[in-house]
Amino acid sequence: MATSPTTRRSRNLKLLGSAAWGLLALSLIFIFFVAREADDYPGGGPLQRIFYFHVPSAWVAYLAFAVVFISSIAYLRTSERRWDLLAHGAAEIGVLFTSLVLITGPIWARPAWGTWWQWDARLTSTLILWLTYLGYLFLRSLTRDPARSGRLAAVVGIIGFLDVPIVHFSVRWWRTLHPSGPTPADPTRSSGLGGPELLAFFTALVAFTLLFAWLLATRVRIGRLEDEVDRLEIEAERPDRGPASGIPVST
Amino acid sequence: MNEPGFVAKTLLLTRKDLRIELRARDTLVPMLAFSFAVTLLLAFTLPTTGDNERAIAGASATTVADVLAGFFWVTILFAGLIGFARTFETEQTEGAIDALLLVPLDRSGMFLAKALANLIFILLVEAFLLPLFVLLFTLDVGSGLAPLLLVILLVDIGFVAVGTLFASVAAQTSSRELILPVLALPALIPVFIAGADLTSDLIAGGTFGTLVEAGWFGVLIAFDVILGITAALVFEFVLE
Repeated sequence: MATSPTTRRSRNLKLLGSAAWGLLALSLIFIFFVAREADDYPGGGPLQRIFYFHVPSAWVAYLAFAVVFISSIAYLRTSERRWDLLAHGAAEIGVLFTSLVLITGPIWARPAWGTWWQWDARLTSTLILWLTYLGYLFLRSLTRDPARSGRLAAVVGIIGFLDVPIVHFSVRWWRTLHPSGPTPADPTRSSGLGGPELLAFFTALVAFTLLFAWLLATRVRIGRLEDEVDRLEIEAERPDRGPASGIPVST
Repeated sequence: MNEPGFVAKTLLLTRKDLRIELRARDTLVPMLAFSFAVTLLLAFTLPTTGDNERAIAGASATTVADVLAGFFWVTILFAGLIGFARTFETEQTEGAIDALLLVPLDRSGMFLAKALANLIFILLVEAFLLPLFVLLFTLDVGSGLAPLLLVILLVDIGFVAVGTLFASVAAQTSSRELILPVLALPALIPVFIAGADLTSDLIAGGTFGTLVEAGWFGVLIAFDVILGITAALVFEFVLE
């Protein structure tokens, strides 16, 4: 007997989850026991380790909002429910990780800059990003009809994402305290990290990315199950249609 | 018979909105009243010196310029949001939205018509507000007037594009007044920071040359072009 697609999908999901959490555990070992070089620098030590969580969180947040953007366009073009589920799930995860960025940042900034918050361009743009997608989720919570909710949210998801680079480019014209790594304008600029630190960082980055994929796949699965529950409830309310026999009810 | 083109139809729809407003006056009047109320509030709150100086007591000219530019744009922002929330108000009643959708015009034209009407509303508010600021705060724009008008127009284009689109989104939900600021404010922050920054420079004695060189000028144009075009393109998915 061949395994059903559902079982296979659920096994793949478990595999992805194990890989994400396993790699996350490994990156913790790297961060706390291998990347010790920076401990000797001023501003290094325990404080500097926030970096290994802050930057991967920011990366996942951007990745998530990019997924919202692409899925939103795909949804408007095709009206396929899966794109809407993907966009919704990615937006929730994006808001979660942006929240982590906005929490870990000030914890680091307080001792490093002497202040929790600065109206710095990058900080401000991250806050705007967070507010934009909170609004997106708020909008989704207002509309009951999934097709309408998906359409309206997609419009906001597209506009919100296009706003990001404009906000981001303003970094160049506004004072910034935020440290940045190598840039296209200055590729020789060093990140100041040694080999063990880079190992810890990239392990954490991959681990966070896998974690994102796992969370997103899980969220989409929950969305599908919710749709299924809705469908069964509708069927149960219509006794004249007989027992559920795989007749697709329009969604 | 010649069928009217895209531009003619778009302008016709704009004229429709303007005529409705001219007769009912229920969008522009609250917008103007609100902007006037905020300005009066500011006039009483800001401690200006008595001797005809456009200086807030003890502050440098740059600070004054920053503060006034900020207040000007905050006033416009709130007045605009109040007005834009009503963009689809007339179409919400008695199925008028179906009549609008039957107009043989591309949806982007429908968006342009609505946006153009909103642009005219906000320009009228500014035509009222700018002289008021000049009077009440002895604001000396002088040679900076022409570039200032350009900045105002550029901010308005971005504001109206995002405001009109999100008003159409908000009109489709149960809590229209609530959701528009929630959606529009974060998206509008860059355009208003740019507007306030450039306006402040011009009030403090900037010229056309300094305006064009300012980084925010580029931000403003990029915002207008990218979000303006996108808003017109995605509008058709809102009205269905």
